Amino acid sequence: MSNGATAHASGLPEAEGLAHVSRGALFAASLKIGLLGFGGVMPWARRVFVDERRWLTDRGFAELIGMCQVLPGPNVVNLAVIIGSRAQGPMGSLIALTGILFVPVVIVLVLATFYASVATSPWARNAIAAASAAGAGLILGTATRLLIQTRPPVRGLVMGAAAFVTIGVLQWPLLWVLPALVAAAIAWEWHAAP
Amino acid sequence: MNETLHVLAELGWRCAALSLVAIGGINAILPEVHRVVVDVEHWMSSADFAELFALAQLAPGPNAMVIALIGWKVAGVAGAFVATIAICGPSSLLCYGALHWWDRLREWPRRAVVARALAPVAIGLILASGYTLARGADRTVVAGALTLAAAAALAFTRINPVWVLAAAALIGTAGWAG
Repeated sequence: MSNGATAHASGLPEAEGLAHVSRGALFAASLKIGLLGFGGVMPWARRVFVDERRWLTDRGFAELIGMCQVLPGPNVVNLAVIIGSRAQGPMGSLIALTGILFVPVVIVLVLATFYASVATSPWARNAIAAASAAGAGLILGTATRLLIQTRPPVRGLVMGAAAFVTIGVLQWPLLWVLPALVAAAIAWEWHAAP
Repeated sequence: MNETLHVLAELGWRCAALSLVAIGGINAILPEVHRVVVDVEHWMSSADFAELFALAQLAPGPNAMVIALIGWKVAGVAGAFVATIAICGPSSLLCYGALHWWDRLREWPRRAVVARALAPVAIGLILASGYTLARGADRTVVAGALTLAAAAALAFTRINPVWVLAAAALIGTAGWAG
């Protein structure tokens, strides 16, 4: 994590490892995330971009995801646009989108064609139910790992907990709660920052 | 032919409009998608909608896959691509623009403050989406245990998530997790 510390000192954690990523490497990584992202793409995005390729630190990843969540659109699609752009400009965004989004679309259409025969089999239904349960766990595990790696200060933990409780537990409408949470988090960080 | 183009155009603008309000991603606007697709446009029944959602969960790729399937149901393969491009296009352009505006703020000393403030909120939201999915998926004790085991494996080990999902599916075939 010494790498992460120096990257963050520059104030541009998210750009650090991405500047010289080739188009081929970008497509390969995006495709891997798109193809393996069963039950949620976020765990795979973190694993490939942070652990495997080391293009981002955990902190940089969390900051980019924060930006993706504030903007409309599917979060992982936004992440592909940003990471692709950082690596190779507008063409990079298109390359990353193709891998993460369009190749899985083709697969899901093939799957949809055969769905009727699979859906009636009880063992397939049971396997899918169990994989969905594990998929939810992968997302919870990703959040836990990010929490451990980024070590937010108490004010960050409070704001993260507020986001979890209002959106996850109370199921309040995100469209109203998120702007309030973001404003409060920025105001608090602003006030506390040296 | 004109009829098909008309449906594709309708599908395109409906998805493009949804794209720009999808703060928090596709799962956040699923109720609105359901309202448009089932109640307003009468493209399919509520049961069809639920089945497409389940099918999207079964496939790899982002949650936006459910939109591709809705397009497919409404207007075939062309519908799937029109819907996918329309649900991602406007928000992606906005995101690209926002990124460049953000980069122009490079000299602004407080930029890092905003980024630091967003990160924990983002983690809280990921936790919330995992929790929401778990509430739907964990109908039995075994399913709950699978969720916890998968979370622990990802948080504390470097096990490849493929093995976690494969092991869970295998355990599931015994019929305890449904």
